[in-house]
Amino acid sequence: MTVSLYSVAHDLVALVLTAIGSVLPAPLSRWITNAGLITALGVIVFAAILLIASMLNTIVLIWFERKLLGRFMDRRGAMHVGFAGLLQNFADGLKLMRKNTFRPEEADGLGFYLGPTAYMVTSLILFGILPVSTGWNSGVLPLSLLLALVVFSFAPLFIFISAWSSNNKYSLMGGMRSAAQMIAYEVPLLLSVVAVVVVSGSFDLNTIVAQQQNYWYWGPLFLALIVFVAAMLAEMERIPFDLPEAEAELVEGWNTEYGGMLFAFFMLSDYVRALVGSFLVVLLFLGGWTMPGWVPSAATSFPLAGIVWFMVKVYIVFAVFVWIRAALPRVRTDQLLRVGWNRMIPLALLSVVLAAGVVMVKCLPVFGCLPNLGI
Amino acid sequence: MTAAPASSVQWPELLGNSLIALEPLEGTSGRLRFRAADAERVFRAVHDAGFHHLTLVGGIDWVDHREVIYTLWSDERKSYLFLSTDLPADHPSIATATKVWPSANWHEREAWEMVDIHFDGHPDLRHLLMPDGYEFHPLLRSFKLHEPEDLEVKVRHV
Amino acid sequence: MSEMWINMGPQHPMTHGLWNLRVRIDGELILDVDPEMGYLHRGIEKISEDRHYNEVVTLMDRTCYVAGMAWEHLYILGAEKALHITPPERAEYIRTMSEEFQRIASHIMWYAAFVQDLGLMSPFLYGMRDRDLLLDLFQSYTGARMTYEYMRVGGVRNDLPHGFSDRARKVLDWLMERFKEYDQLCMGSDIFRRRCDGLGVLSAQDCIDFGVTGPMLRSAGVARDLRKDRPYSVYGRVDFDVARATTADVTGRYLVRMEEMRQSVRILRQVLDWLDRNPGPVMAENLPRWLGAPYAPIGREGYLLKREYPKGVGFAAIEEPHGEAAVYVVNEGGEHPYRVKFRSPVYVNLSAARKYLVGYHVADIPPIMGSVDVCVGESDR
Repeated sequence: MTVSLYSVAHDLVALVLTAIGSVLPAPLSRWITNAGLITALGVIVFAAILLIASMLNTIVLIWFERKLLGRFMDRRGAMHVGFAGLLQNFADGLKLMRKNTFRPEEADGLGFYLGPTAYMVTSLILFGILPVSTGWNSGVLPLSLLLALVVFSFAPLFIFISAWSSNNKYSLMGGMRSAAQMIAYEVPLLLSVVAVVVVSGSFDLNTIVAQQQNYWYWGPLFLALIVFVAAMLAEMERIPFDLPEAEAELVEGWNTEYGGMLFAFFMLSDYVRALVGSFLVVLLFLGGWTMPGWVPSAATSFPLAGIVWFMVKVYIVFAVFVWIRAALPRVRTDQLLRVGWNRMIPLALLSVVLAAGVVMVKCLPVFGCLPNLGI
Repeated sequence: MTAAPASSVQWPELLGNSLIALEPLEGTSGRLRFRAADAERVFRAVHDAGFHHLTLVGGIDWVDHREVIYTLWSDERKSYLFLSTDLPADHPSIATATKVWPSANWHEREAWEMVDIHFDGHPDLRHLLMPDGYEFHPLLRSFKLHEPEDLEVKVRHV
Repeated sequence: MSEMWINMGPQHPMTHGLWNLRVRIDGELILDVDPEMGYLHRGIEKISEDRHYNEVVTLMDRTCYVAGMAWEHLYILGAEKALHITPPERAEYIRTMSEEFQRIASHIMWYAAFVQDLGLMSPFLYGMRDRDLLLDLFQSYTGARMTYEYMRVGGVRNDLPHGFSDRARKVLDWLMERFKEYDQLCMGSDIFRRRCDGLGVLSAQDCIDFGVTGPMLRSAGVARDLRKDRPYSVYGRVDFDVARATTADVTGRYLVRMEEMRQSVRILRQVLDWLDRNPGPVMAENLPRWLGAPYAPIGREGYLLKREYPKGVGFAAIEEPHGEAAVYVVNEGGEHPYRVKFRSPVYVNLSAARKYLVGYHVADIPPIMGSVDVCVGESDR
């Protein structure tokens, strides 16, 4: 289980290049099998695998939401393209790709195209940072949690750039709301993460998950979990916190002027961020790929079991987000900001204090011998 | 206030010589014909008699003259009352009712653009249902509905 | 941000139809509004002048496309008064029943659209699902789901089909259960209450001054309901209460409409019982031939003859789902009405928009306008 995805990619590239090199003349063969090239190609293959896997997951996630939302609403969701509508999102994607990408005459070209592209890229980078299982990513990133959160918080900047350069009043209002909302909820989000860091003593996600081998953090850090999920909902701009794109008053908010593939970038990035949000909840609070002790070992020891269990947890967390979406109306901007600054931040601070308490209790010897029950 | 039927109101005493006739109308408390020149006084008197709710203001083109009808409702009397007045066809104009019933605003705008009745003192006599610059008054009898092939654009762009 | 005007409409998710709400805002605060109407003006009053009395019914379905039966009822009541025709009793009961079914269907449609505007998606689908049952009922006795063309001067087109009242009662039972669910989803939700309480307040005095009627007026505590105050058709013979709230805000309007649906079910149960017990004709006898009893072919001898019939003016007012609707029909001899003037409740309710929108936030526009229940077909005619 110590085989990492990067080493697989690296070995694969080495194998192929060696095979090619064996039939080529000597100088070329030497050049093609040198370590630098193999590493470079290995990184590219690694990135490509990551990209494909994460995009596939995102698209399945959209399907999952559509079906689940359909069931909540007493209907079936997509049914016709592919088995149970599984290919519907691919069809939608193809349709968007075929559409004309246009720019309003008065819009600022640079910002108009830069915004969605950068938003998409920064969202995808997150998949390279977050571990899905032991050995998923190559390098040792001692501050991977911090890096993930930093990249995650780029979004308001690019949203505001694209909103402003659209030269549309609705876009501008949506962009303003988005920036205000994300900045307001960044603080409780980070503070609730601090609670996790205090207990685990590390910014490395692998270490944080390893620390949860004995007990998952959602029990002792329940308050931090609540704050984190609420703040994450605001960061993901999902109902009940989707005011920046509240279609009832702002048409489509900051992406009003976008159509075709540029709109698909936003749409896809939103789901990428939803997926990343679910990843983080699982990594920080639900034990990542570890499983409680009462699960039979046969269920946790098959190849890639870590990834499977991790994704199961991710989809359960996302189902909760969908459930919230099906059951709650949208709040208002001023209410959202008031809750953010006046309620969430004190709660997050309290959760940090509680985390300190947890650290003290953790030192009691009884916790060392507790079996992992999933709490 | 006691729920007295509207017929108990002594309209002749209340309105004096502004009143031309009081006609019965089925299911309502009748139709008051009044002199257009005294419109403001009549509106005020009718409003004070308990008819606080203006249901509609409508214009009718009788070719040789125009008629304006006001329908009013009284919560205390639980009945409707019609006011009606005749205006000359060449220059139909009457005082606005918006000072007494603010809800007359849009009704009068509509009557103005549809039947070409001018309401003196109306705060905001603009086109409402028709596009700005529309120079016809569709509900006049002289405005004929056309067969589709006869249709032409009747909007002068401003 | 400095002050600016934004156009909410004519193509905007909030408008639910074609109209334009021009809003002057400072940041998120509304400073001024100016509704622009007329995008859906089809000249129904003018077209009516060129049509036979029964042909106008077709236009009525298009006037308010979510409350077609109510508008048919309104026009027929006015036209019958202008023509001095009395329909048989059973026809009056069927009309009352149709109007009440339409009221529930219209309110459910309102509920679905209103809650959707708040970002709550599930009730929209629930509302559409339940409204479909009512449309099925309409289809079973009129043949159409939206544009019924069912009522005629002198009665209704046809009697109810066999087994109709049993089906209708089943639907009513189902709906009464669903209304509880609706309430749980909305009044049980803290966010919903925070979005709606104290919004769009229009006091009783302002309502009366600006001619605002219907659930908006009743939510301000004024129990004016024409079904009670000036009973038409058979409303004087059925037992029901006038729904009322005192808060005059969005929540109040929500509660009034929910209670109205329950009261409609109550009325419908009584009307259905009466219809079961009393078979009879649904069309008046001895209607003048020119009126074209339902299917008189055009060009038949006598159809286009000048008629000998007393002139008259007909006025009718009903409590339509959106408020007080009225019609003024002038019959001057001839096969066509000389003038038909409608009062649309939505039109008047919208004219007071400045009163209930200024001072709130941009995000409050969808719930407030949703609580007004805008039907543009009806307001523009």
